[in-house]
Amino acid sequence: MALALLPARCLRRLPLRPPRLLPAPSRGLSGPRGGPPSALPLGRRVAVVAAVGGAAGGAWLYLRARKERERRERRRRELRALALGQGDFQLVDHRGRPRCKADFRGQWVLLYFGFTHCPDVCPDELEKLSRAVELLDRDAALPRVQPLFITVDPERDDVAAVGRYVRDFHPRLLGLTGSPEQVRAVSSAYRVYASAGPKDEDGDYIVDHTIIIYLLGPDGLFLDYYNRSKTADKIAESVRRHMESYEPLLD
Amino acid sequence: MSAPTMEERKACWAARDEFWRCLDTHTEDAPRCEKLRRSFESLCPQQWVKYFDKRRDFLKYKEKLETEGFHPAETDGKS
Repeated sequence: MALALLPARCLRRLPLRPPRLLPAPSRGLSGPRGGPPSALPLGRRVAVVAAVGGAAGGAWLYLRARKERERRERRRRELRALALGQGDFQLVDHRGRPRCKADFRGQWVLLYFGFTHCPDVCPDELEKLSRAVELLDRDAALPRVQPLFITVDPERDDVAAVGRYVRDFHPRLLGLTGSPEQVRAVSSAYRVYASAGPKDEDGDYIVDHTIIIYLLGPDGLFLDYYNRSKTADKIAESVRRHMESYEPLLD
Repeated sequence: MSAPTMEERKACWAARDEFWRCLDTHTEDAPRCEKLRRSFESLCPQQWVKYFDKRRDFLKYKEKLETEGFHPAETDGKS
């Protein structure tokens, strides 16, 4: 702009200086040797690019972390709203002791619903559950997981029957049963489908039911689930991840 | 009637597997595997026999779908 004020002949003779956009460096406007300040020296240029690149990278990392936090927060809101398994249950364990939901507060629980007359699925899933707990037990830094079995066949699976059944799996596996009303209440709290099939002449029948292992956090709420296709290793890995990133769902 | 113990379950599964292996070898020729069938029926509760039979049917059907593909009724001459 200042150049426009000079008479035309001066413009032809004077070396053209680029307009001063950047603040003058402390050494003075001219370059290091006092000559015309052309573009910044290479070192400065690299520094500028690095600074801009670093700022962009930093911004990207921050945004990614924020997106991750938002995703987790959204998931927590969803789980809280779903509130699966909220509400108490009153059952009896396989040693005859009454157990309610609060007894398991503060513990990580892997829960499976099944029945003792189950042909193959329940033993498989309980073996898998036991194996996952064993894998987690190996890491002394992690809290001990409480494996839990709840029957969907309270008519046949009394305390003694459940006791005989859970003996064959992990030593900490606790079996729970109760009256049909109590069992129905806990099955519906966990959205477990269970339907007894037709009885044969021996009175035997098979109960069709949801085949899922639930992970409950220390506040007693549902955190994750594992279907038939999840291996023991995958389950243990997932539980470990939940333990490491745990934040209570209920305030 | 109390539920089968772990030993009884394993005995039942073993009998079932033997019977199924026989069926595999003789391509579902049931009469050839009669003896194993009877052993299977004696070691497993009746409800389980029915359940495993249905399971076998399902697995065979699934295999058929995977190898031969799905062919809806071919009455129109097309597949």
